[in-house]
Amino acid sequence: MTCPLCDILKTCCADPMKFLGDWFVLLPALVLLLAAGAAVVMRNLIHAALCLTLSFIALGIVFIALGAEFVGFVQLLVYVGAVAMVIVFAILLTKPERLTKSGSAFSGLGPAGGAAVGFVALVALLGFIFTSPLAKKPLPAPASAPVAAIGEALMGDYVVALIAIAVLLTAALVGAAVIAMEDKQP
Amino acid sequence: MTLQILLAISAILFAFGLAAVLSRSNSIMILIGIELMLGAANLNFITFWRFSENPSDLVGILFAIFSIAVAAAEAAVGLAIIILVHRRINSVEADDASNLKG
Repeated sequence: MTCPLCDILKTCCADPMKFLGDWFVLLPALVLLLAAGAAVVMRNLIHAALCLTLSFIALGIVFIALGAEFVGFVQLLVYVGAVAMVIVFAILLTKPERLTKSGSAFSGLGPAGGAAVGFVALVALLGFIFTSPLAKKPLPAPASAPVAAIGEALMGDYVVALIAIAVLLTAALVGAAVIAMEDKQP
Repeated sequence: MTLQILLAISAILFAFGLAAVLSRSNSIMILIGIELMLGAANLNFITFWRFSENPSDLVGILFAIFSIAVAAAEAAVGLAIIILVHRRINSVEADDASNLKG
């Protein structure tokens, strides 16, 4: 005896990538855009940081769905694990409930100006994207980036870049610690 | 799914980040906008790698990894500067840090 729901569940569990098809990428992408939009408009900074974290998680899932598993997990580790936590720390250390003298969460161009510039940039980008001859390119055969190949590339052709990024990260983190340190008055 | 859908998603993400950077008054929100724009750039790298003729080159993957490392360094320095500014002027609003205006 079989029920249709059981069959659907069986196919879904056997090969979720095939069952979901394009939605395996588009669903997390939708979550990504909703969370990013919410992060931009939230007045409460903690809520904005949590929405940003959700959008980072969704972005990592998009990477994994596109076949770049290593980058996806690096995204989850670095952004969700480190960057989001550092942002929450900064919010907690700086008493975000204080608003500007004008009491507004917006400044600079203001909400309308920012939205207008963002919209103009979006229209320009979409215009190029949808008129490009590359635009209709269909999805090629599934690609994969094995971690061993990434490691060999990093230790081979890209070793200079790897060393440079190591120096940059060390200098940036030591510099950040020095900047944020309390001034010791003699 | 075609290339343009993923590029459009990335463009929308970039526009959100740009709007946040230009309109929000809080420095931390400006940093969040920058992170969103960097995420859009990373999504473009991975998308073009996925649609490339020769994905075994791994160029897009490696570029995204380096970009993530630079973004992490940028976030650490940015938040250290925000904490320092907060200690000096007791505010994280970008408009309040106007000592150089004269």
